[in-house]
Amino acid sequence: MLIPLVNVVPSALTKDPNSHVKDTTAAWFLFSSQRLFSDRWKPMEVTQVLLNAQSIDGAVRKNAEESLKQFQEQNLPGFLLVLSGELVNEEKPVETRKLAGLILKNALDAKDQQRKVELVQRWLLLDGNAKSQIKAGLLKTLTSPVSDARSTASQVIAKVAGIELPHKQWPELIGSLLSNVHQLPAHAKQATLETLGYLCEEVSPDVIDQDQVNKILTAVVQGMSSSEVNIDVRLAATRALYNALGFAQANFSNDMERDYLMRVVCEATQSPDVRIRQAAFECLVSISSTYYEKLAPYIQDIFNITAKAVREDEEPVALQAVEFWSSICDEEIDILEEYGGDFTGDSNIPCFYFIKQAIPALVPMLLETLLKQEEDQDQDEGAWNIAMAGGTCLGLVARTVGDDIVPLVVPFIEENITKPDWRQREAATYAFGSILEGPSPEKLIPLVNVALTFMLTALTKDPNSHVKDTTAWTLGRIFEFLHGSAVDTPIITQANCQQIITVLLQSMKDTPNVAEKACGALYFLAQGYEEVGPSSPLTPFFQEIVQSLLTVTHREDARESRLRTAAYETLNEVVRCSTEETAPLVLQLVPVITMELHNTLEGQKLSSDEKEKQSELQGLLCGCLQVIIQKLGSSESTKYAFMQYADQIMGLFLKVFACRSATVHEEAMLAIGALAYATGPDFAKYMPEFYKYLEMGLQNFEEYQVCAVTVGVVGDICRALEEKIVPYCDGIMTQLLKNLSSNQLHRSVKPPMFSCFGDIALAVGEYFEKYLMWAMSALQSAAELSTHTAGDDELIEYINTLRNGILEAYSGIFQGFKNSPKTQLLIPYAPHILQFLDGIYMEKDMDDVVMKTAIGVLGDLADTLGSHAASLIQQSVSSKDFLNECLSSEDLMIKESAEWAKLAITRAISV
Amino acid sequence: MADDSLASHRRDPIKSSVGNVAAQRRRQNAATVGKERRESLVRAKRLCRVGATGEGDVLVEENHMMTDEEGFLLEDQTSSAVKELKSAVVYQGKGAMQKRVNALRELRRLLSKSEFPPVEAALKAGAIPLLVQCLSFGSPDEQLLEAAWCLTNIAAGKPEETKALLPALPLLIAHLGEKSSLPVAEQCAWALGNVAGEGEELRKVLLSQGALPPLARMVLPNKGSTVRTAAWALSNLIKGPDPKAATELIKVDGVLDAILRHLRKSDEELATEVAWVVVYLSALSNFATGVLVKSDALQPLVERLATSNSLQLLIPVLRSLGNLVAGDSHTTSTVLIPGHEITDGVIKVLVKCLKSDHRVLKKEASWVLSNIAAGSIEHKQLIYSSEAVPLLLRLLSTAPFDIRKEVAYVLGNLCVAPATGEGKPDLIKENLVSLVQRGCLSGFIDLVRSADIEAARLGLQFTELVLRGMPNGDGPKLVEQEDGIDAMERYQFHENEDLRNMANGLVDKYFGEDYGVNE
Repeated sequence: MLIPLVNVVPSALTKDPNSHVKDTTAAWFLFSSQRLFSDRWKPMEVTQVLLNAQSIDGAVRKNAEESLKQFQEQNLPGFLLVLSGELVNEEKPVETRKLAGLILKNALDAKDQQRKVELVQRWLLLDGNAKSQIKAGLLKTLTSPVSDARSTASQVIAKVAGIELPHKQWPELIGSLLSNVHQLPAHAKQATLETLGYLCEEVSPDVIDQDQVNKILTAVVQGMSSSEVNIDVRLAATRALYNALGFAQANFSNDMERDYLMRVVCEATQSPDVRIRQAAFECLVSISSTYYEKLAPYIQDIFNITAKAVREDEEPVALQAVEFWSSICDEEIDILEEYGGDFTGDSNIPCFYFIKQAIPALVPMLLETLLKQEEDQDQDEGAWNIAMAGGTCLGLVARTVGDDIVPLVVPFIEENITKPDWRQREAATYAFGSILEGPSPEKLIPLVNVALTFMLTALTKDPNSHVKDTTAWTLGRIFEFLHGSAVDTPIITQANCQQIITVLLQSMKDTPNVAEKACGALYFLAQGYEEVGPSSPLTPFFQEIVQSLLTVTHREDARESRLRTAAYETLNEVVRCSTEETAPLVLQLVPVITMELHNTLEGQKLSSDEKEKQSELQGLLCGCLQVIIQKLGSSESTKYAFMQYADQIMGLFLKVFACRSATVHEEAMLAIGALAYATGPDFAKYMPEFYKYLEMGLQNFEEYQVCAVTVGVVGDICRALEEKIVPYCDGIMTQLLKNLSSNQLHRSVKPPMFSCFGDIALAVGEYFEKYLMWAMSALQSAAELSTHTAGDDELIEYINTLRNGILEAYSGIFQGFKNSPKTQLLIPYAPHILQFLDGIYMEKDMDDVVMKTAIGVLGDLADTLGSHAASLIQQSVSSKDFLNECLSSEDLMIKESAEWAKLAITRAISV
Repeated sequence: MADDSLASHRRDPIKSSVGNVAAQRRRQNAATVGKERRESLVRAKRLCRVGATGEGDVLVEENHMMTDEEGFLLEDQTSSAVKELKSAVVYQGKGAMQKRVNALRELRRLLSKSEFPPVEAALKAGAIPLLVQCLSFGSPDEQLLEAAWCLTNIAAGKPEETKALLPALPLLIAHLGEKSSLPVAEQCAWALGNVAGEGEELRKVLLSQGALPPLARMVLPNKGSTVRTAAWALSNLIKGPDPKAATELIKVDGVLDAILRHLRKSDEELATEVAWVVVYLSALSNFATGVLVKSDALQPLVERLATSNSLQLLIPVLRSLGNLVAGDSHTTSTVLIPGHEITDGVIKVLVKCLKSDHRVLKKEASWVLSNIAAGSIEHKQLIYSSEAVPLLLRLLSTAPFDIRKEVAYVLGNLCVAPATGEGKPDLIKENLVSLVQRGCLSGFIDLVRSADIEAARLGLQFTELVLRGMPNGDGPKLVEQEDGIDAMERYQFHENEDLRNMANGLVDKYFGEDYGVNE
């Protein structure tokens, strides 16, 4: 009996040799950019380098920029110190001081949010000594006799304050700015006030305590007061107040202080200096939107001031006076809209109906401005004058008060519409056109019925082009707001349809600006028939309309007044809103437009100007093809007929890309998206050639719209190709991930890029595994950033689109992996995703779109992971509340998603 | 820049041209269309499952039908993919290369599509000769990669399907060489790994064709999926039972260093594959075991066991450790000397494994302990005084049978002194008494009742120790209390002579006619 037995390898466990079925190829690579180091740049040369950086010689400039960049990268504190030293140095040339300040400023702030965050972090981590020195230099520069240096320093100080004050750093700044402001010489006082103004622009009100706000406002108001003799100081103070208004919440709630502030502002509107008057009116405009609810006691006085300015003051001032009322309209339109949506009144701000009360005087004042047209304003795209502003304001007033405006304007129209002076006829027409949105159709239609014939006649017969232009525009407004399936009594009938079309087509032969407006009218005419049913009243005229529009596109002067664009866009709308009856005619358009596009490619050598023209025309033609393809692709029978042209068209699109050497044509890209949808999996045959342009589009950071459109097209192609997209996924995913990590890309492109992850995952299913880790980590960090919103409405809106993109990606990935053996790969990501859903639910600021997508993701998670998800969902903080809230939503889409999610969750839990 | 912020308010004029708005709207429309299509696609996918809900049975049935249908479809697609490949291979015109690659890719896609790749259909359609042709020297990488990938997935099929790869083996091995690109080499290694995993016969073929040296060289670099794949393939290739390959492998220049390096520094996935190589090296080749022990391979293994929580990694590492302990007495006698840091480390990680939830870890840790417990008195005392004993005692009463058996070896070895020659080993009385007091006897008696000969023998051997060694002649009483007599009497007519004699002998000796007379 021997017990000590040594037993060797147990046989129970051997490795299954055949378990490796591989389904991925190359590994995923990370990118790193390499940077070359070169000799360190010597600070002594700073002035010369800064001068060189402004040289007209491109090579010298580039060299200088390069060395600046290197210095910055190698020794940031040293670099910034040297720059501030340059800025403060009175012996240096003004241009290098300015540039030094500008570079300093750019090292503190950037447009791109992510880049900005980086810069802020970098500054915060910078050596404290260096920062103190820089700040001391900046403050010193404020007293410089050189105005450009002062002004630059003001802005840099504000940027530094924007970073430091929220972190409770530089607490002495405001005190030291204000400490001796009274004793300063005028130029330094002006710089100090300017700095305060920028500072208020940079930092948010909650980081400055009320005591300091009071001090700032006191200094500013004193600078504005008549006791201040220096005009520049008063101007700087008035402009500073403009920025400081947002800080004055408490002061505006205090009657005495508010009265005082309002008095100072109103006094400034009477200043002898036009710049101060303008700045003061700008303050009033800002007050009108920030403190709307506090305005009641002053509105009468303000009306008097503005009325006087509109009638008598110089145009820049008068424009701001009109703007005050436009801005009040904006406020009241918003408030009334909220009332309309929900009578219980979510809004804390009541409507004071200032406009309604003011119209008896306000409308005549605005009507007066309409008579002050400039001679050629219709030919000048950038024109902006008191007549245009007045008409624009009148339009807003009409939207604010609705029917009430009509009796106030009609006499003016009747009085002037037949006058021999073109200004009166034009003003009358313009007034009519302006009030067509707002009042009820019942109120307007009788007027329109009377006016229509008159207008059609004016459009053909009036001797003045300006009148005809406004007449055509007014017809467009009539069709836009009073024609279509939503309006009960049609203004266009069998009786007048023919005449309207004849006149519009006739007018397309008029001067370019008139023809452009006629196209616009036709555009809205066609749009009104969008949902007309199987038969459209436009059908009998279809051929003729198309022919006329094509003729317009060939006019010699078609580039003036953007006529050609209008003609093509109108053609597009006519096609888009056409019915089955005219499908054969739309099909006939294909070879026509294709030929046009082909002709633009018959290129000889072109000058850069001609090249631009050619590219513009190609864009319009591609846009047209996009609409045609979309139209024909939407029904099986026409799609089939269209397919005979697909190869040829795709060939042309590729040539359009090829003839631009570096960039991709946005419109061609968009058209290819439509083509991919129409061709389906067959699109694969174009991919080998098309792919490089797709990649180029994704790489186009500068023209971010191109990038955005391309991202959308990737989605279209994914849906068309499904798993045939696989060979291109590596490249596409590489580019997407690269883009997402970039600081340079416009933020608006990021949400669709996330959605695009979803599109790819839906198309390729479990093949997405190889990108999963990267995609998920990109999504996760974006999710963390977008859980909380803090900021203005615009930011909240952006954050919501971002959330939606992220959620669409999750949905796509879950649904893509569903029923595959690899679903368990997703399990580790589930907790974070649920946390994200919890987070955004608790923030309570999702819009309906996000809500729908989010509840869908909850369902997808349960659907794909099944029992693995059950306990996680049950543990999550708010899934249940969220689901219940969605189930009882009034939005049908949310409800539908929620019901589905509920089903999926029930199933997961019951397993 | 300064004046931007003070730029006057300027709104868009009410009278504007239609072009801007229209183009904007058209783009928005295109984006909306895309969004709608995405949504409808997601909805369709979501509903795809909802349609199949209802009773569980129905669900299963439907899935089955779908799979069948899909299966037929897949086979169909596969034969036509092979046909396509055939025409691509003979085609010599413009774009021939792309054509071949596309055809290969399609076939590969089909072969990786489902859990049951349509290998049979591919073979029937004659894929192998075509794939071999696609592997010819000088072919572009993409083509090589796709072809090797197809072969990989074919090799993952049933045994006879794997065997079909025979004609491809020389070329697959050839592409392992330094001249190949990494992805190609890796793919070939993968295919060969699948072949080697199939069985001894194919391993022999591969070894005779020289697959080992190039694969071995592929594990030398520091990291990368290629190294991992090669290590995995090697572990399959040296599986034996002939130990020659294992011995040959450890002799390849640099391999020993690479193994130690990977064990020490590589990521867990790579370390896992390398640990499997060590498992087979140490299981098969005494030479390799010796080399590994002398090169201090124990240290990294212990570290991995201490730091990792990956079961995939822990299993082969623990197995390797066990083999090194079991395979070479040198290990226990000169490396794992009680008092050395490494020895404490080993005990500690084994305790960790005993505590784990996973039965394989518990079982193998017990096995390793049993071999250490077979060492010197000092070894026994070291284990005896460690945290392991309470765990082992609990396992002996509660764990599944196979673990109990390993545990029994440990506990048994703790109670006997190293063998000194003929005859029964000496008892370590203190250990025996204490373990019995802590209730281990019933566990051993349970083993006596087991149908497993080895376990029964263990049980009887321990019973003998108790009967012989408990002070004051308490042994028989204790055995009787645990129904030991009944358990032994079952062997009265047992077919295994050895056991029968042992059991009968014990009953006769301790429970003979005199038993109980004194009471």
